[in-house]
Order: sequence, then structure tokens, then C-alpha cells
Amino acid sequence: MGTATKTTLATGESVVGAVTSRTVLGVTAATVVLAVACLMQWVAPGGAVVGIPVATLLGGGLAVAGCGIAVLGAGSRLGYIETTPSRATSLAAGCVVGMLWAVSGGVATTVAVGGGDAWLPVAVVGGVAGALATVLPREDAGATLPAAAVIVGWGGAIAASGGGGGWTWAPAWSSAVFPGTEIVPVVAVGGALLAAWSGASAHAGFGAEGRQAGAYALVGAVVVGTLSVLVLLVGFVVLKGITPVLTGASLTGGTLGLPFVDAAVPWPTLPFVTNQTGGLYVTIPGVFPALVGTLWLVFGAVVAAVPLGIGAAVFLTEYAERGRFTQLVEVATNGLWSTPSIVFGLFGLAFLVPRLSGGNSILVGQLVLGCMLLPLVLLTCREALLAVPDAHRDASAALGVTKWQTIRSVVVPAAMPGTITGVILGVGRIAGETAPLLLVFGGAPYPSNTPDVLGSFSLMAQPPFVTNDALLAPASALPYQLYTTITAGVFPKDEFTTAAFGWGTALVLLAVVIGLYAVGIASRRYFRRKLHHE
Amino acid sequence: MSDTPQSEPRRSDDRSGADDATAAAAAGSTDAAAAAVSSKTGGIAGPPGGPGGVDGDEPAVARTVGESDEQLQDAWTDYEFDGDAKVSVSDLDTYYGEERALESVSLDIPAESVTALIGPSGCGKSTFLRCLNRMNDRIRGARVEGRVALDDRDVYGDGVNLVELRRQVGMVFQEPNPFPKSIRDNISYGPRKHGDLETGLLARLLGRDDRDAERDLVERALRRAALWDEVSDRLGDNALGLSGGQQQRLCIARCLAVDPDVILMDEPASALDPVATAKIEDLIEELAEEYTVVVVTHNMQQAARISDQTAVFLTGGRLAEYDATDAIFQNPQSQRVEDYVAGKFG
Repeated sequence: MGTATKTTLATGESVVGAVTSRTVLGVTAATVVLAVACLMQWVAPGGAVVGIPVATLLGGGLAVAGCGIAVLGAGSRLGYIETTPSRATSLAAGCVVGMLWAVSGGVATTVAVGGGDAWLPVAVVGGVAGALATVLPREDAGATLPAAAVIVGWGGAIAASGGGGGWTWAPAWSSAVFPGTEIVPVVAVGGALLAAWSGASAHAGFGAEGRQAGAYALVGAVVVGTLSVLVLLVGFVVLKGITPVLTGASLTGGTLGLPFVDAAVPWPTLPFVTNQTGGLYVTIPGVFPALVGTLWLVFGAVVAAVPLGIGAAVFLTEYAERGRFTQLVEVATNGLWSTPSIVFGLFGLAFLVPRLSGGNSILVGQLVLGCMLLPLVLLTCREALLAVPDAHRDASAALGVTKWQTIRSVVVPAAMPGTITGVILGVGRIAGETAPLLLVFGGAPYPSNTPDVLGSFSLMAQPPFVTNDALLAPASALPYQLYTTITAGVFPKDEFTTAAFGWGTALVLLAVVIGLYAVGIASRRYFRRKLHHE
Repeated sequence: MSDTPQSEPRRSDDRSGADDATAAAAAGSTDAAAAAVSSKTGGIAGPPGGPGGVDGDEPAVARTVGESDEQLQDAWTDYEFDGDAKVSVSDLDTYYGEERALESVSLDIPAESVTALIGPSGCGKSTFLRCLNRMNDRIRGARVEGRVALDDRDVYGDGVNLVELRRQVGMVFQEPNPFPKSIRDNISYGPRKHGDLETGLLARLLGRDDRDAERDLVERALRRAALWDEVSDRLGDNALGLSGGQQQRLCIARCLAVDPDVILMDEPASALDPVATAKIEDLIEELAEEYTVVVVTHNMQQAARISDQTAVFLTGGRLAEYDATDAIFQNPQSQRVEDYVAGKFG
């Protein structure tokens, strides 16, 4: 396929083909949007959009796309549209289309006959026929016509179903009952994906370019799907939580006393975040104690785990001979990282609590979370250390610098960005950790005071010389509070319902985790800047 | 060794076997080597019964294809020079595990000159270089036998301080390997770690900040490495932002900053373009006025241009010939060296 003679549908030489393929892709995209809207229940599948029933729109969209694909394929095969097809469609595509034919045939038979075993031979014959029809002909026919048949068939069925309002599917192998209003949009999305693959392939003129375009269409759909899951999740939490979080908030409602001068300036207030949860005089209960508890937990866990993790990684990478021992440590570390968090909690409850605080406490929570963070810090730091080029170590040794000084001034700084990545991931996990906190950390679910860790240090003449009552007392953390709120089911204040308070807590927790990410990413950027010229 | 009579005439049959690497030739060389061992104990052929030595069932010397199988002679490695030897190596054997990388290498390196080490790939010239400042200690399984003396003190003796040794014998590597730090920090790294310079917060608080001394040192080292004019306005920039040639000169400056006596260079220009290479070569010649420079190079023209004396290593880790550079390139005594210098193999 020389570039000089290359003609695709999009070059304008075959206007019919270009217009048709663009129409197919446009209609397909519109169908997906509408189907997703149905799934999200933004549009009722039985309802109507601009006066046309949704089912008709979905089915019609698929039918139009399918017909367009068939026109493209047939036109290309018969020589009316110039393309550059390969000799045959890929076997994988044949399998997929064959499977779709089998399913379609089986379902159609069941619906038509109304049960019995007739569906099986139909499905087998249909599947084989579909696969052969895809694989045997030249690519322009094989990649379009069998797929178009499926798409048009599904489109017709959807249009005929009237949106699936009146029927359900209760499969014998499951106790679940699927309403037709959910099945219809899912089928529409599936058909649209098939249409997107086939249409994109046709649009690029089949052949190598066509396969690439088809793959891009599918990969792009996956990316959009992943991103939309993320946006949906965050958006849902924000929508549900923003009302309780903003209760009583104002931009200028508060005052900030200036130090040294006897004056005050207006200041934003956000009572949900800054107020105590319980207490007599709190009108708008807030999550401040839990927020502070979470930050202390994360801080303590990082302080406990990061030096240990980096130290162990330095030993394993720089000092230990690579062999049985390091392998054993590696396996143990991986195992530790995949150990369920409740097991860590149980360990804390049975081992740390009796020795340190005699009851639930912040300190034990910090240590347990630190234990959970440790393996990830170790693994990522070890990877980062291994990635530091030996040239740096050689250069330093050749200058007569000792090994330890080399590690401290060259190797570990060069491994910092990678290590911080590990800490970021680990902190993201432990900040939202609930299970171990239930066992070793949690106190009153709606505390009326904030743990004053900094102010509680006191010195004494006998061992242990320093004590901190706040560290040894239980507290509340955001995920813990969320759990207790939702499971307890009764929120003591009138201001919020239980669910509203829970969603508000969830939103604050989300914000805290994203904030910690931001801090981590900023410090990683700082170290990268220092290491590389940017 | 210096009283050994000068070269025996080359054997003509060796020339005829120049392209012959068959088993017959190898077997023949084994016999000849055994004879050489019996006649010259402790010679280049290796001590009898020594590890990896001639047992009679394997060739005495592994060869590159195209190399002739003549016997090496002690006399070819005798090089007379005025003044004392800065580095003196005798009967050096090096092993990586079971594999022998250097075999009975003896040579004296004169002070304040450029000594080039050339030879085909895998001939042990880099290994030899790394023996001089004990960088081979860093390779697991490496074992060194023999004597390396720096100013008549045994480098491999008991109680040698590696830090002190490597301050005196600096090294520049094949790939430029500046630290991912600023240009200034790269230069002052060695002295700071040795405690010759105190910088940083604590030093400043205690009033012992050597920032002026650091500035002087950085400037001196960079000027010496002919890099000052190019980077004087951006000493705080990351060294990785420099070009390859500049990075290599920075590495040389970094090495000079700890004030060594001997500078070892392992193919310092092989990763650079011709312009940068020319700069490095000029620099090496200048450095030889003050320092003893030992350069491993793959490039024979380079060796001819910059060095005062040249040592040719041949496959198998043996020193074939060591002499003034002119003599090596114009009138080599060994046939194999002549072939190698003429580009017939290697």
C-alpha cells in the first residue's frame, strides 16, 4: 500500500463512503450517550426525548448505524467505494461476532418458541455461521456485514421492546431479576461498541489502517469509560456531601482576631469542618475531631514507617548480598503488603494495646497503620535504589568517598522521588483505612473535643520521662466516624440526618486524601527538579 | 628484568599462521608455550602450575580471530625511562571468579606523563586500570595477585586506607557520570566528604563556613579542566544539563578537585563526538605536566597523539609490548602488536 496511491474513504474521492462512515460514527456516539443517560436514570427508558420514544431512538440509532456499515461494506466489496482491505478479518473478530450471533440466535429462539431446548442448536449454528461469515470473505465484507446484521437486529429488537418497561429477565441460575429498562441500554451500548469498531475500521478504509482505527475506537471507549467511572464516583460523593458540608458556611461570617493589634477581620467559616461533633453547645455538628485524628494517624504512621522502610531498603540493596536472605525478605514484604488490614488490627489489639496504652489509643493506631505502610515504602524504595545507576556509586567510590557517605549523599537522594511515590500510594491507602481502627483506635463516635496531642506532652523525673495522655487516649478518625455513623443509624443532633452527616464526612475524607496526594506529588516534583534539570 | 637481552628475531612461521585459528595451531602453541615455561621460569608465559596456567590440554593464550600465535617475550615489555616510577606493577594476576582477566602483567609507569593502554576488547586493559586504585575490590568475585606499588608503597598491602588511595589515584570513567547535583556540588563533593571543606547550616552557625574556599576550589578545578569559561555563570545549575563533552570535563574537574597524583581514565572520550574528544585530548596532554595520567583507549590514533608511552594488551590479559609510543607505532617488536596497530585484528 504505497502512500501515493493510498485512498481511504476520508480522502474525499468517494464522497458517499466518507459521508456514510461519518454518519455511522456520529449516530453511534449519540446512541451511546443516550444509552448511558438511560442507565444513569437521567432519561426514563420508557419515556420520550423531543417527542420520540427513547426505545425508538436507541433502536433506530443502532439500525441506522448497522445499515450504514452494511452499505459501506457492500459498496467496498462491489467496488463502488475505494478501500484497501486485507484478505480476511482477524480470527479474534470472527470469534466475537460469532459469539454475538450465537447469543442473538439463542435469545431470539427462546423468545419466539417460549422455552425448551430449541435455542441450543440455533445458537450453535448461528455462532458458527457468524464466525465463518466474518472470517471467510474479504475484510471489507467480513468486518462489516455480519456485524451489521447483529447491530440492526438488536436495534430492531430494542425499538420493538418499547424501552423494556413491562418485562423483566429472571435467569434460572440467579435469584436476581433484571428489569428490561436496564437490559435495553446495556444492549444498546454493546451494539454501539460493535458499530464503533466496524465503522471506524470502514472509515479508515480497512486494511492495516482500518484495524488500527478500529482498535483506537475500542481503546478510546475503554479510556472514556474508566474516566467516567472516576468522575461519576467523585461527582456522586460531592453532590451528596456538599450540602451538609456547606451548612452554615459563609465567606465573611466569621472573624479572625489579629495578633498584637486589637482588631478582627472577616473570615470564612465552614462549621462542618471546624466544629466539634458532640457537645452541648454545638448547633452545627462538625467533623473537626475526626479530621485532626486522621491527620495525626497519617503523620504518626509516616513517621514510624518511612525511616524504617528506607533503612531496610538501603540495607537490602546496598549492603546485603543478593541471595536467599534478600529473596526471603522480599517475599515476606510482598506478603505483608497483601495482608488484610483487619489482621493488622487484630495484631495491634492483641500485642500493642496491652503493652502501650491498655485501651484504644492514637499511638497504637499510628503504629498499626505504620506497619501497614512499611512494606510499600520498603518495596518502592528498594526499586528506586536499584534504579540508581551504578555509575554514581563508582564515581563516588573513585573519589575516595566511603560507602555510607555515598549512600547518604548520592544514592538515597537519587531514590527520593520513587520512594515518595510509594509513600503517596501508601498514605492514600491508610488514610481511608477503617478496619484496624475499629479494633485499636476508635473512641466515642461523636467526640466533643479534639485530641490535643501537641499540648499533652509532659515531662517527669522517673521513666518513661515523657508522657502524652492524648496519644494514649482513643479518638475519632474520618473513616471510623463514617462507619459508626452509617452503622449506628442514629445521629444525635437534629441538624443533619444520619445519611447527610455520613456523606459530608465522606466528602471531607475524600478531600483530605486528595490533599495528602497533592502534598506528596508536590514534594516529589521538588525532588525531581533537584535531580534533573528541568 | 631490564638486563634481558633485546628481542629475539621473529619466527617466520608465526607470520604464516596469522589467519589460522584451527585446533592444530592451538595445539602447536601449547607445545611452544610449555617449552617457553621450562626455559624462562617466571616469564610472561606464567608460572608453571599456577592457576589458569598452561596444563598442556588448553591453548596458552585465548586469541581473537586473525591474531597470530607467536610467543610473547619479556624483553618486549621492558621500557627504560628517566626518573622514578610513579606506579610500579609486577606480576599482576587478576581473576573474575575462575576466569583469568590479567596474567603476569609487569610494568612501571613514569611520573608526570601520559601512558596509554591499548588492545582489543576483553584484553584486560580496563581491568588493569581498575587494579591501580583498587576499584576491582567493588566487583564481587574479583581477586588480585601480585604487587602494585604507588610511590613504592604497596597498594594491596595490609592496612592500606582505600579512601586515601583513591584520593591519590583519581579515576574518570567511560560514560560521563556526574552526580545529579549542581555543577558546584559536583566539584566540591569529594573535598566536602573528606572533611576538607565544611559547608552547610551547622558550619555556618558555628562560623566555620568554607564557602570562599569552596568557590576558589570550584573555580580552580573548572579552569584546570578547561570548563570554567563555559559554566562560570551557572554553577548552581544541575550538571545533567551539560552536554556530553562538558559532563566529561566536569568529571575530570571533579577528580582534580581532590588533588590526586595519578589520574586513571577509562576510555574517557569514547562516548563523545569528535569536537569534544579533541578538547579532552588537549586537556589530557596539559594535565600530564602536573599529573601522572594513565589512559585506556580503543582509539589507536588517540593513543598515538596524546601518550608518551604505550602498553599494548592482547587477548588473554597479557601485556604484549610496552615502550615509548613512537616505538610501538613505528617499530613494534611483536608481530601481533604490529598486526593490531595496523588494524589487522581487534
